[in-house]
Amino acid sequence: MKNIFLTLSILWCAVLLANPVETGHAKASLITNLQSSSQESFYVGVRLQMQDGWHTYWENPGDSGSPFEATWKTDAGVIIENVSWPTPQTIPYPPLMTFGYEGDVVFPFQVFRSLDTELTEISLDFDFLICADICIPEQATLTLDLTSASSSDLLDQAIDNLPTKLVKTTSAISGDELKVVFQSPKEFSSAYIFPREGNLFVYTPNQAITAIEDNIFEITLPLAQEEVESFSGIISLDGQGFQFEEQIASSGGMSLWQAILFALIGGLILNLMPCVFPVISLKVLSFVSMGGDDHAKIRNHALAFVGGVMSTFLSIATALMIIRSTGSMIGWGYQLQSPVVVGILTLIMLGIGMILLTNINVAAGLTNIGSSVQNRNDYSGSFFTGVLAVVVASPCTAPFMGAAVGYALLQPSFATLPIFLSLGLGFAGPYLILAIKPQWISSLPKPGPWMETLKQFFAFPMIATALWLMWVFMVQTSGDALIQLLILGLSLGLAIWMIAAFEGRWKWVGLILTFIASIQIFNNLPNNTNEITQSADADSWNLSIESDLQANNQAYLINFTAAWCITCQTNEKAALARTSVQDYLAEQNIKYIKADWTNRNEDIAIGLAKYERSGIPLYIFWKPGMRNSKILPAVLTEDLLIRSMQ
Amino acid sequence: MKTILSSFIFLFFVAHVFSAEIVLQNPKVNEKAPLFSAVNSYGERINLTDFQGQPVILEWSNHECPYVARHYEEENMQSVQKMAQEEGFVWLTIISSTPGEQGHVSPSLANDLTQSRKAHPSHVLLDESGEIGMQYGAKTTPHMYMIDDKGLLRYKGAIDDIGMGMKFFSASFANATNYVATQLSDVKRNKKLAIDNTVAYGCSVKYNYD
Repeated sequence: MKNIFLTLSILWCAVLLANPVETGHAKASLITNLQSSSQESFYVGVRLQMQDGWHTYWENPGDSGSPFEATWKTDAGVIIENVSWPTPQTIPYPPLMTFGYEGDVVFPFQVFRSLDTELTEISLDFDFLICADICIPEQATLTLDLTSASSSDLLDQAIDNLPTKLVKTTSAISGDELKVVFQSPKEFSSAYIFPREGNLFVYTPNQAITAIEDNIFEITLPLAQEEVESFSGIISLDGQGFQFEEQIASSGGMSLWQAILFALIGGLILNLMPCVFPVISLKVLSFVSMGGDDHAKIRNHALAFVGGVMSTFLSIATALMIIRSTGSMIGWGYQLQSPVVVGILTLIMLGIGMILLTNINVAAGLTNIGSSVQNRNDYSGSFFTGVLAVVVASPCTAPFMGAAVGYALLQPSFATLPIFLSLGLGFAGPYLILAIKPQWISSLPKPGPWMETLKQFFAFPMIATALWLMWVFMVQTSGDALIQLLILGLSLGLAIWMIAAFEGRWKWVGLILTFIASIQIFNNLPNNTNEITQSADADSWNLSIESDLQANNQAYLINFTAAWCITCQTNEKAALARTSVQDYLAEQNIKYIKADWTNRNEDIAIGLAKYERSGIPLYIFWKPGMRNSKILPAVLTEDLLIRSMQ
Repeated sequence: MKTILSSFIFLFFVAHVFSAEIVLQNPKVNEKAPLFSAVNSYGERINLTDFQGQPVILEWSNHECPYVARHYEEENMQSVQKMAQEEGFVWLTIISSTPGEQGHVSPSLANDLTQSRKAHPSHVLLDESGEIGMQYGAKTTPHMYMIDDKGLLRYKGAIDDIGMGMKFFSASFANATNYVATQLSDVKRNKKLAIDNTVAYGCSVKYNYD
């Protein structure tokens, strides 16, 4: 039967050798938009007018079917290329799904020729599968006489309607689904992703879509395979197509247990990060001052501190999960993108610095306001030191921690929570051990006047941190705003002094002063208005830069950084900005790209999510010959950086 | 007792309705192959479990599909069937076309086809409801599955590497890599296959989608 058909259609064509050709269930014709014989490049199109109820296929036909095959008969000096497939539509045959075209469709091809070739005629064999309930392979040999052909508006229209390049997507595997986040270039009422590669997905008639933000959407595709390395295709928005293409960063195969372990180690290391160390040291000092005798008291204080740490991590995890449930892209350090938070942290650091330096006993002073009896067994101080330690730790990402938190934020809640708790446990680990073995405190030096000196010294790292935050604040806002913040700092200092130095009525004056000043700053704090300007030595980052550079075989190093990320800044000073590194980059022709996340930036959040990260620093390196880009360590030295790029 | 019986009947009915739901499953390779039971072209009930201890090949077929037709006309499918049976495989040809659709066959037509095409299936199974097809996620004709003697699914996908595209109709079977024929011995040795999951090509399985 099929043979008869093939023979018939071939005979048919051979007899007519014409344009158009009836193929059985369609009429095929060749059209062009050639306007003058001096054009070196023009388009031809194969137009297929299919009978009602019949369809042919896209390049990925879906569950069954076949794309067409075009065999051009060209002379030397003429090249004919398939430009792009028209945007397909879904043609469901439940439970199967196919992708293709119905009715009248034009497949455009581009012709390139050198003008000395005499091109008067174009012809091709067009083999295609046409299907209704059943499928029939049909064939047409089409010939177009270029000397007499008139330019076709239909072809121009088809070219205009081809899917345009390129919509940004960011995808991540979550269980047995792929979540594709894309920025929509237009408003739409329906969206469908046509994947180009076969066998990756289970094709469904509808795809689940959620709006993340104004023009950012997430489509969930059920996976047919466990691993997806790259995928491309067309996103159809109300029938208008947009091309996309992306490499999907592999998850590195991190399991929940691994993430929990990483969180634990990361939390422990977090104690040593520059922003946390002074606060933590203070706590240790307070234990020392309690002496080696009262074990129960040390245990209780240590437990109160651990409690403060754990409950703060728990609140952060809860807050992140709530924000995530609203569909926002979030990350660690995210809170510092708000100048208000940075301002408050600056004041906290300044306040701690002043208290340490002047040895003012604020706690005692405040207690005096409420009650004349000082409660010796008040553990709330230890608890809030724990809270404070986590608050000041928030600008930092320790090694291991970034990977764990990044993983946590992409997981369902039941996995997010244990990872954050493990992070808290790691952070509070040393104190937990102290609570179990309070006698170990005796191995530390005996209390004495040295403690006072050390305490005063610790004021300086705190003030340094405050200076750092002031700089961040200034980058985010303006110099004027910074002065306002500093004035507030001044009145805060005054208030602290008054609380400690005066009795009775004056103390109240101090408190009221602080209160008024706080209201003042909250009213005057500007929102993010500053555009972050890129420093001249680095190229600026965009979502598609990696695929662009890889396509050009250009090696690159991407630095995800922010003014508020102290680890990032340290790395910059200790490695990235060093001349040896800069020389190496220039020598090896490695493009250095900075992605600055000082202010809120959805694209960068998406870019980080691609590496299953939600926080910074993150360093990405790729050079020709590497299959996938590689994540460099979170703490860098000159040597380490250069070695990892070799 | 009566209520228990009627609720059983009700449950059976509900289960039946749900099993008829149009959902294509996606069985994983190297895991247990879904069990099934069907009537063959001689009216005998055949269970997958009948072949315990033997490796099994499933071939989805539709004799009117141009892709299947070419595999049989050029005796490509028959030679693979013969090879498989010599290696001790059970070959089940499964027809999931719904009545009235292309490729649907009566038991006698099925037997006539086996004879006229000189085919060597161990059984031709009639799966009019498409239940087995959907259990296995069969999408095209041909669509091939290999199950080892421990009942693990070892291969799903195309019969060979010619693949989608109109080139199928001019490609040579001799030059193609036949994924089934070349991996028979590995399936017999219960090994994970080098190529165990490919994109099947051909006509769509004519399920009852109306």
